[in-house]
Amino acid sequence: RRSEKPNWDYHAEIQAFSHRVQENFDLDLLKTAFVNPCYIESEEARRRQLGLDKDAVALQLQENSGLAERGLRFARAYLEQCFEGAYPELPAKGIEALVNFLTSQELVSYVAQNLSIQDLTLCRDFPAPPDVLQRTFLAVIGALLESSGPERTGMFVRDFFIPQLIGKDLFEIWEVVNPMGLLLEELTKRNISAPEPRITRQLGVSTVLPVYFVGLYCDKKMLAEGPGETLLAAEEEAARVALRKLYGYTENRRPWDYSKPKQGLAAEKAISSN
Amino acid sequence: RYVRQLQRLQLLFSPTAADARGARQFVEEAAQDFARQHPDVVLYVSPHSGPGPAPVLRAEYLNGTVRDELIASKTSEEIVQLATKLANQSGLDIIRIRKPFHTDNPSIQGQWHPLTNKPSILTVQGPRLQPE
Repeated sequence: RRSEKPNWDYHAEIQAFSHRVQENFDLDLLKTAFVNPCYIESEEARRRQLGLDKDAVALQLQENSGLAERGLRFARAYLEQCFEGAYPELPAKGIEALVNFLTSQELVSYVAQNLSIQDLTLCRDFPAPPDVLQRTFLAVIGALLESSGPERTGMFVRDFFIPQLIGKDLFEIWEVVNPMGLLLEELTKRNISAPEPRITRQLGVSTVLPVYFVGLYCDKKMLAEGPGETLLAAEEEAARVALRKLYGYTENRRPWDYSKPKQGLAAEKAISSN
Repeated sequence: RYVRQLQRLQLLFSPTAADARGARQFVEEAAQDFARQHPDVVLYVSPHSGPGPAPVLRAEYLNGTVRDELIASKTSEEIVQLATKLANQSGLDIIRIRKPFHTDNPSIQGQWHPLTNKPSILTVQGPRLQPE
């Protein structure tokens, strides 16, 4: 463990962490954010083993579960709001899938590891398991919320979570079982007639690897076109392409806006809706 | 936002060895300025007494790589330059980059595939009718 190797100053490391992330933290809150419940249990067990009297050397540490919960709620509300603003056509299930992906264990623990949080956490096992890292990172977000207010925390969440969506496709994150049914619902909402699938191009029909391009036409106008190995697969792929176009999540959409926000109303709404 | 990839710098030197003179001068004069200019890097200075291993500047990065740089017989300014060079690097391995360009969008209008410019089946022209 890095904290047990020579040359380790916890206070200096925490200060460096707050400078690295360019945020002003309240250092006591930050120190509580790194303390996990398993650490407190292991410390008490160790003290009991060494025969120390419990009241004489009581641990003055608080856990990070409250901070972690607050951080998680804020992060989810803020991300939901971001996506509702950026992709207004996306249904609630899609937004939920995106937010779940962004707050999932693997992603959050990956981000936490690359920010050196795994050295600063106090926990029982080494190397720290991903759910501990996730809880610690969310507690750090909670501590930032208490110290600097919702605006700065919103910018922090945006800068560290949303770049993880770069290069990812919508349907990699959101599993849709029946894209054709979903497409029919979307089209009926917009009062467009049902799509007619037609084969646009085909290659190598009698070989092992045929390629069919199926296009979906509404009122004789092309909606989307998708390739596939069999006719059914191509139709499904065309439905997915159509859904991507409708929700505005194509590959050539405008990239995310990372400029400084002018008003703090958006983040305040996120807090008040909790 | 920009996150500096250098986590901490450990300066291991011996207070009596002759080749650690630059390291000692660096610690006396320039180390504080360096630490003030880079508040997100933790600088540890650990003199180990007696004739030990050569003086070394160890840099640890956020992705875990540890890089040692020998500072024996270097002047204080050279050590400052070395430290700033390490502070501006990332922790990726220093290997030959195969190509100096990389793009996430290799094609703007869609990559060519054998069917791009062929007319679709719906507009295929049938065989020419016999001229009357």
